[in-house]
Amino acid sequence: MKSGKLSPELWVDRYADYLYNFAISRVGQEEIAKDLIQDTFIAGLKSAENFKGQASERTWLVAILKRKIIDHYRKINSKKGKAEVKRLYNPASDADGDWLEEQVADPYSIRENDFLENEELGMALQECIDSLPENQRRVFVMKTIRGLSTEDICKELQINPSNLWVIIHRARTALMGCLNKNWFTS
Amino acid sequence: MISCDEAALICNKSQYQEASLPEKLKLRLHMLFCSTCSSFSKRNKQLSKLFNRAGLHFLSDSAKEQLRKRIQNEL
Repeated sequence: MKSGKLSPELWVDRYADYLYNFAISRVGQEEIAKDLIQDTFIAGLKSAENFKGQASERTWLVAILKRKIIDHYRKINSKKGKAEVKRLYNPASDADGDWLEEQVADPYSIRENDFLENEELGMALQECIDSLPENQRRVFVMKTIRGLSTEDICKELQINPSNLWVIIHRARTALMGCLNKNWFTS
Repeated sequence: MISCDEAALICNKSQYQEASLPEKLKLRLHMLFCSTCSSFSKRNKQLSKLFNRAGLHFLSDSAKEQLRKRIQNEL
């Protein structure tokens, strides 16, 4: 890839999952996250001439996504007409209208740290998955993330089970090598 | 006694609960004598745990297709 050049036709394959995880961990809802990613890609296309090639394409897209997320929170807060500060510590919670005062850190709770650590872990895993060769990536995601059965994957990809396990083995070995050693305890 | 390749295969299968009991026993026995495989097995298990803990989300193929089309339209 030439520096300073964008390749939008590859954005979805290269960055969609990464951006999706980034967005979900901040807005908590899949549908909103999907919309935000779409907005991000469109905004990226429109401001493509501003891309100087100093940052990587992904960093640049993440910066746009961050602005979209801020816009999203501004919008929902202005709808309520209140200067309510909404902070989402736990993406699984749908609790609405919680005031900041009610959300002061509970010294007995480790939830916030969990959230931060899980996000960091999620992004690290995502980056490593993205660095896998396409066939390994595909099989690994089908098996591990989407939890499909060996039989279904073999049928869909027209491979036999021993092929599948060889691919899984290569992917898992590559992932162990890619992930920072800090994530593993010896 | 099984080879290291077979041991690794069983170890990978068991990450997805697809190893049979006899296979698991063979793996156990192999690991008693093979430190390479037992350290591989340990890291492999940890990798599974990390994935469980992270709870990653992936876009469905149809959602990606939609995004691709949307980008194509704008190009």
